[in-house]
Amino acid sequence: MSENNNSKKKGFFLFRWLKRAFFPNKEMEDIYKEEQLESPFRMVIKNFFSKPLAVISLVIVIVIMLFVFIAPNYVTLDLGEQDPTLINLAPGYFMTDYPEELVKNGVQDISVGNNYAIGCDKNGKLYTWGATKVSKVVNIADIPEEIQKAKIVKVSAGTDHCVALAEDGSIYCWGNDRLGQCRLPSELTMNNKTHTINIIKIGASDQFSVAISDDGEAFLWGNENFVELWISGEYRGKIQDVALTNSGFVVLLKDGSVVKPTKSAQSAVSNIPEGAQSGVKAISASTNTVCAIKEDGSVVVWGAVSKGENQIPEFDSPVVKVEGGRYHYVALLENGKIVSWGSDRYKQCELPSSIEPGEVQDIYVGAFQNYALTKDGKIETWGLKGFLMGTDSLGRDIFARLVNGGKMTMTIGALSVVIETIIGVILGGIAGYFGGWVDMLIMRVSEIISSMPFIPFAMILSAVMGTKVSIEQRMYIIMVILGILSWPGLAGLVRAQMLAQREMEYVTAAKTVGVKESRIIFKHIIPNVMSVCLVSITLAFGTAMLTESTLSYLGFGVPLPTPTWGNMLTGANNSIIIQSYWWNWVFVGAIFGITCICINLIGDGLRDALDPKSSGR
Amino acid sequence: MAKYILKRIVYLILVFFIVSFMMFAVYNLIPSDPALIQMEPLRKTLKPDEFNRQYQELRKKMGLDDPLVVRYARWMGLAKDMDGKYSGLLQGDFGYSVSYKRNVIDIVKVPMANTIILNLLSTILTLAITIPLGIYCAVHARKPQDSAIQAFTVVGYSLPTYLIGILFIFIFSVVLRIFPTGGAKTPGSNFTGIREFLDRMYYMCLPLLVLVFTGLAGMTRTVRAAMIDTLSQDYVRTARAKGLKEKVVIYSHAWRNALLPVSTSIMGWIIGVFAGGSLVIENTFALNGTGRLYWAGLNNTDYELVLAMQMFYCLIGLVGVLLTDLTYSIVDPRVRIDK
Repeated sequence: MSENNNSKKKGFFLFRWLKRAFFPNKEMEDIYKEEQLESPFRMVIKNFFSKPLAVISLVIVIVIMLFVFIAPNYVTLDLGEQDPTLINLAPGYFMTDYPEELVKNGVQDISVGNNYAIGCDKNGKLYTWGATKVSKVVNIADIPEEIQKAKIVKVSAGTDHCVALAEDGSIYCWGNDRLGQCRLPSELTMNNKTHTINIIKIGASDQFSVAISDDGEAFLWGNENFVELWISGEYRGKIQDVALTNSGFVVLLKDGSVVKPTKSAQSAVSNIPEGAQSGVKAISASTNTVCAIKEDGSVVVWGAVSKGENQIPEFDSPVVKVEGGRYHYVALLENGKIVSWGSDRYKQCELPSSIEPGEVQDIYVGAFQNYALTKDGKIETWGLKGFLMGTDSLGRDIFARLVNGGKMTMTIGALSVVIETIIGVILGGIAGYFGGWVDMLIMRVSEIISSMPFIPFAMILSAVMGTKVSIEQRMYIIMVILGILSWPGLAGLVRAQMLAQREMEYVTAAKTVGVKESRIIFKHIIPNVMSVCLVSITLAFGTAMLTESTLSYLGFGVPLPTPTWGNMLTGANNSIIIQSYWWNWVFVGAIFGITCICINLIGDGLRDALDPKSSGR
Repeated sequence: MAKYILKRIVYLILVFFIVSFMMFAVYNLIPSDPALIQMEPLRKTLKPDEFNRQYQELRKKMGLDDPLVVRYARWMGLAKDMDGKYSGLLQGDFGYSVSYKRNVIDIVKVPMANTIILNLLSTILTLAITIPLGIYCAVHARKPQDSAIQAFTVVGYSLPTYLIGILFIFIFSVVLRIFPTGGAKTPGSNFTGIREFLDRMYYMCLPLLVLVFTGLAGMTRTVRAAMIDTLSQDYVRTARAKGLKEKVVIYSHAWRNALLPVSTSIMGWIIGVFAGGSLVIENTFALNGTGRLYWAGLNNTDYELVLAMQMFYCLIGLVGVLLTDLTYSIVDPRVRIDK
């Protein structure tokens, strides 16, 4: 008999309490049935589920919880990842939404910049689309009237400025002019009136641009403090093409050799490999590398390779055209196939299946977006279309941070509540059951802790304890701090319940039978008290999340770059961010606000369900 | 009564010493060495062993090697300092701020005044709104107007203060353009007299609004609950049965009794506002208050300043608890205190 009993009682004590609190065993049920009674817990559940608001809140919280705990498996977050070309992008998948009119009128040229693109149709009309707002004040879509009137045949998009070539040979620039990106050299301004030089090619990069004439001259302009915009005199009249990276450029001469612009020029791409010193047909640049197509259709890549730009795949046909993005290249082969390589972070290299080989006429590649023009005049796009919730001021995907930050916030909230519950129930139970000096001592300690202002105290502990630990350890420290500082409320509640329960007959009965006191407290009384504590625990979960986020907001919680819902809002108390980059705070604020409100509503619903008297309140 | 108060005060003093000792001990966990900081400029001019000797001497002089309790007693002003004088918290010497290069007591004055003004105003405003509102809700309990206010208060007490701050900046500064986004006075202005006062009030409006809004939510619910409880009491029924007007019943009989439990929660709430609320508000709106000073002190590892501020917070908390107990026993004669 006793053996049988022991085997039944196996399992962690906490689970046994919960089991007894929530699923009373059959025998007890039968007794209640005879007396036509409902178990108090059943009644609470019934009451709770009769309140639509509380039930809806419960569903919402469960959905949000599932979301933040499941989604991080799919939306991974690279903490160190940031990209200056992706900062402050508005939410939405709009970057490759080219205007239909462009296709209808026939595409003349397209050029893709960072997350925006410009194009001109056969009538010479200019179009812009994508994230054209490249800075707080500059919007590429604001094309000056003079340029709108001109008949444009060629376009080139840089980081924050654009260059367009009109049919009559005039060159126009617009966009950000702070570093002289739009200040044309005097020969070209002159040429805009006289039209003596025949410009055949234009190109725009980060802070500088180039125009090449048919007699082998190149004209460079832009930020001269950044790159030496000068091509050695010996190459004059022999220039076929110029490839611009963000920080330097190389020149392709008509004899098929690639050279650096001057003997002394130093940049990431100025170290030209042997393979590119002769027999080169065309060149193209990504952000930090240059790619050359040789006469035989093979390609050579050199420069500051960072994300696999030099991992050139095998081609089954000679390469006709190559264009470079930020960290990837796309090549058009003679047999009409498209091959791409390099960084695939935003699926830049994943071709859509709708492109049939042999159909493609031309390709246009930008930082993360790619366009293919088919022979029947249609446009196919692939690559980065946008971010669901935009990006923040460091170019990080807000959706990914929201999801992962939510996981962090909820984990910290939940674990600190577990700590709080364990401490609170044990100390409150002991204080309430034994009374006397034990009660006195525990209650004084809890009084001291609860009389100290919470946030300053937590800040100080976090500052003192969190100085020389890793981010992960700091997270646990925050949990422990929150748990240790917030137990007095729960302990008080348990104690009060305990005082009432210990006078009841079943405790006296247990005592008479000779049950140990610790067993009476934790096995007989606590399970009866747990359901009352449930309200307090629910509300404590909300409070813990709030406190954690407040601490993180103040910079004393989980440190950056690890996201939490609190520290994602740290920089948001600034009118520029609040107004212009609203997606930085609206989504986080909304989901956090909804979670907190719902948790409080659940707590209220539970309270009403437990105490029918309070429902009138 | 007097005996009870005395007992409470003695207890409070005891707790204050325990807490301050705990805080002091926590601070001493931080690896910082004022003697080394003082000696650092001399490192290059002295030979290593000579440097070491002087360093050890200085440590002895500053009393850094003494036990924790002795150092605590010195800091508190219970034991003689190294120069033989009593100079500590009890003598009004709050220490020296490293980052401001001034005595802590001089730095704290202005922010403390700002914080107290802000919190006092918000407390008065909140109570002035919240008590009538709570009573109104209780009288009209479960009617649409009550439900609307309830929904509003749930939002108020669920959202974190800084989020409400950001929302209010968006609504009032960005969209409506009524109030400035932050700061304490018009930048570059040099107003005097009434202009200065108005300017400061103008800049205080938005933080005040946020504080009142956050405070409103919780307090309204407390007042409402207490009032509903009171309205179900027998004496209210008796009053109604006597044929008294509903106004008299509510404003003369019920609400005074309803405020009994409220008065205790008011103190607790004020403490919360003073510490947590003002910390967040002052950071969100860039106000020069104690909260921001404390935050800056922690960020600059200016520990004597932080320690002094922490003592201030502890004192507020403890006095708050004492006042709560006392108010309760004064306003509610049913609470027996001297047993």
